[in-house]
Amino acid sequence: MSKPLIEISNLTVSTTDDNRTLVNDVSFSIAPGEAVGVVGESGSGKTLTALSLLGLLPRGVHATSGSITYGGKDLLTADRETLRSIRGNEIAMIYQDPMTALNPVMKLGAQLIEVIQSHGGDTSNAMERVLTAFSEVGIPDPKRAYESYPHEFSGGMRQRVMIAMALILSPQLLIADEPTTALDVTIQQQILALVMQERRKRNMSMLWITHDLGVVANLVDRVIVMYAGRIVEVGSVKEVFTNPQHPYTAGLLASLPKASDKNRTRLLSIPGIPPKPWTVGESCAFSPRCSKADQQCRSSLPVLATNTHTDAACFHLMGDNS
Amino acid sequence: MREKTWFSYYLKSTSGVVGGILVLIMVAISLLSALGITPHDPLIQDPINALQGPSSQYWFGTDQFGRDILSRCMDGMRRSMLVSIVAVSIATLVGVLMGIVGGYFGKVLDGFVVRFSDVIFAFPAILLALAIVNSLGNSWIDTSIAIAVVYTPIFIRVARGPVLSVKEMDYVKAVRILGFSTPKVLFSHILPNVLPPIVIQIALSMSWAILTESGLSFLGLGTQPPDASLGLMVSEAQSLAAFAWWTLAFPSLFITIAVVGLNLVGDGLRDSLDPARRSS
Amino acid sequence: MTLSITDVTKRYKIRVTRAQVNALNGVTIDLPAKKTLGIVGESGCGKSTLARMIVGLEQPSSGTVTWNGEPIFDKARNMLSSKHSNIQLVFQDPYSSLNPRQKIGDSIAEVLTVHHLVEKDAVQARIAELLTEVGISPELAHRYPHQLSGGQRQRVSIARALASQPDLLVLDEPVSALDVSVRAEVMNLLIDLRERLGLTYIFISHDLSMIRHISDQIAVMYLGKIVESGPWDSVLENPQHPYTKALIAAMPDHTEVGNNAYEAPLKGEVPDPASMPTGCAFHLRCPIAVPSCSTNAQTLREIEPNHQIACQEVK
Repeated sequence: MSKPLIEISNLTVSTTDDNRTLVNDVSFSIAPGEAVGVVGESGSGKTLTALSLLGLLPRGVHATSGSITYGGKDLLTADRETLRSIRGNEIAMIYQDPMTALNPVMKLGAQLIEVIQSHGGDTSNAMERVLTAFSEVGIPDPKRAYESYPHEFSGGMRQRVMIAMALILSPQLLIADEPTTALDVTIQQQILALVMQERRKRNMSMLWITHDLGVVANLVDRVIVMYAGRIVEVGSVKEVFTNPQHPYTAGLLASLPKASDKNRTRLLSIPGIPPKPWTVGESCAFSPRCSKADQQCRSSLPVLATNTHTDAACFHLMGDNS
Repeated sequence: MREKTWFSYYLKSTSGVVGGILVLIMVAISLLSALGITPHDPLIQDPINALQGPSSQYWFGTDQFGRDILSRCMDGMRRSMLVSIVAVSIATLVGVLMGIVGGYFGKVLDGFVVRFSDVIFAFPAILLALAIVNSLGNSWIDTSIAIAVVYTPIFIRVARGPVLSVKEMDYVKAVRILGFSTPKVLFSHILPNVLPPIVIQIALSMSWAILTESGLSFLGLGTQPPDASLGLMVSEAQSLAAFAWWTLAFPSLFITIAVVGLNLVGDGLRDSLDPARRSS
Repeated sequence: MTLSITDVTKRYKIRVTRAQVNALNGVTIDLPAKKTLGIVGESGCGKSTLARMIVGLEQPSSGTVTWNGEPIFDKARNMLSSKHSNIQLVFQDPYSSLNPRQKIGDSIAEVLTVHHLVEKDAVQARIAELLTEVGISPELAHRYPHQLSGGQRQRVSIARALASQPDLLVLDEPVSALDVSVRAEVMNLLIDLRERLGLTYIFISHDLSMIRHISDQIAVMYLGKIVESGPWDSVLENPQHPYTKALIAAMPDHTEVGNNAYEAPLKGEVPDPASMPTGCAFHLRCPIAVPSCSTNAQTLREIEPNHQIACQEVK
């Protein structure tokens, strides 16, 4: 495998006030051109992990240990200036709510020009570049969009503008935090098709954060499953979805209704709720909800280990399924 | 895990604790005065001892009629507190009721409530209070009513705003679908959820009401001589302060303690009742 | 007992622009007792307006909504007719559907006492029974909503709705706001309750997989109209309307992995309901539209027993 574009090692994120661990010892890397999906429920630490990559952790939360190596620098210890030059330029991000990324009182064209300027880009042909960016993301009338304000656009169109904004400086890595969750399914499909097309064209790496297994199944190369602040399973998208080894991943997949199930059999459910990451201690966080759990699971922490199908952190792998 | 009450948060707020102590002192003074426990009779004149400076016999000195200023301050505090409590109670009851009803029912009723408060807001507070006292009379109850009228629109606003958002909450829709009567929806489900800003407003308004009462008395409208009122005492001390500073200093100090104390309580309540501020 | 919705429309005026929005445009539904109707559609299709109308929170602009032949909306009280507190709504957001200042046991007790459903000394026992019914330990009755998880709160909302002994439950996206791993449990609970208590459901969702799992009949809505309806298997296994086909194609499917081919089944966006297209509302996005679709309004017609579509181009 080629040298990774970005490498996250032993990342731990905690609250500043009471030192509660929210992301615990997370390590993974993204290769150039690779698309990685991070799947997890609310509180699993997936969004905080993504925000760490850009030094954008919210107030009251900070990375307590680990490193994020990008271009020979550690982004966790990098100064503001370094981070600023990387943000937008080399690593860009799109969010669930485009309004958090767009200034409501500024015309869209001006906002994109500002992005180019802020990174010392060539501004002589900036307007042209913005119009091209708009048409690339499928905005029907780029000239009109250039002169429009965010509120004049629908949610799907705003999402396209945000994608244009993220892509205009041709980043190496695009981080997407559930950008389609708030959209209607037919619009979601349009956005996914757009992202897929642009990624291929630019050979861009991607980190896609979502709670929706269906979305990443056809979007990414590799899937990371997070639970209670830790990675519980990593593998190629094919293996994770067809041969999940961690009982949590397997349970999650089994709990979804299947379009092929003519008899509509009762859904398999996972009892209980995910624990708060800081309450887990030296045990498998999933053990209270796991049918395979035994004394070992409750008293020691399984580490991520490679097996035939995936890497999973579990003492009792699901085994062969196919 | 036991739920932390708002009070435990309140005790963490410095302004809340300091304000609370000041208010407790004011209440104690008023109660003593109400029970007739003052060093001297606040009304008895003693011309021989007129305009004495502070001494072991008259801690705060005496005024131009030889009345004990400490006793008069205590009596004035009692009267200010009484007026402030009665006025703010009336304003809270009327204002909150109008605000909730207007906000919940909307349409014509709300239009009336909003116009009503706009009209009262349009007058400068002290002028409106002056006009009302002038037409009603000078008793403490008249003063209270005048202040209540002036403060009612503030409570209308404070109650109405949150009602507009709370009535759209699913839990309110849910109890409507469950067929609960409108008063039950209003008072069991909406009122408790709009209470915090109202409570804060009560503390702040009480301090303003004390100022307004003092202002009215200062202008010769509220409390009438020979009764004591903090505002009246300040007014009377105007010509005396040049050579008898204590006649002005101590009533002013009492007003300041009352206003600052209640304001600090308001700050403490705001910090403890608002979950968003608790984190800091 | 039947729910009858007959040619219902709902128009709103937007205050600032004075524009008229047709949230519902001639909707007709007949749902027999103990059946589940799934209503699926995207934002602006009118499914939530319909839900609010069925529980009496809104009055139809024209048409009628009746339960057992009696109108649901009480004009005098401007809300659900008191005869019909047996129609209840379960909301999407479990975080806002319970009064944050009320213990969960009290919120159920209130329903029981307001409607005198049980004797005073039996209230606590009934609360315990209802909580147990939805899979919540009765010991949690003394908790406040914020001390519970989203899934638990949704169960409490269901228990509160059940307290009034409803016949019909309108479920407005009841699992959409929940974590993926607890959705299945709540779905199973809803199915169990339906069997055990003989409930009639209106299940509203944008998630076709959940609709598919629970419904007997399905109605597909687009911009205030039903464009296809019928038994669940006919509609989903043999969809006829181009919009239904697109919705099915757009469902993210976790069972088909790694083909990395996303094709957007529909171009364009849902039009603004305030400026509704003429003719068939779907024609601007429709892959099979012909010029006459922009002028001909479409009405539902039967294409096989009980299976109806509103499209002239499907033969």
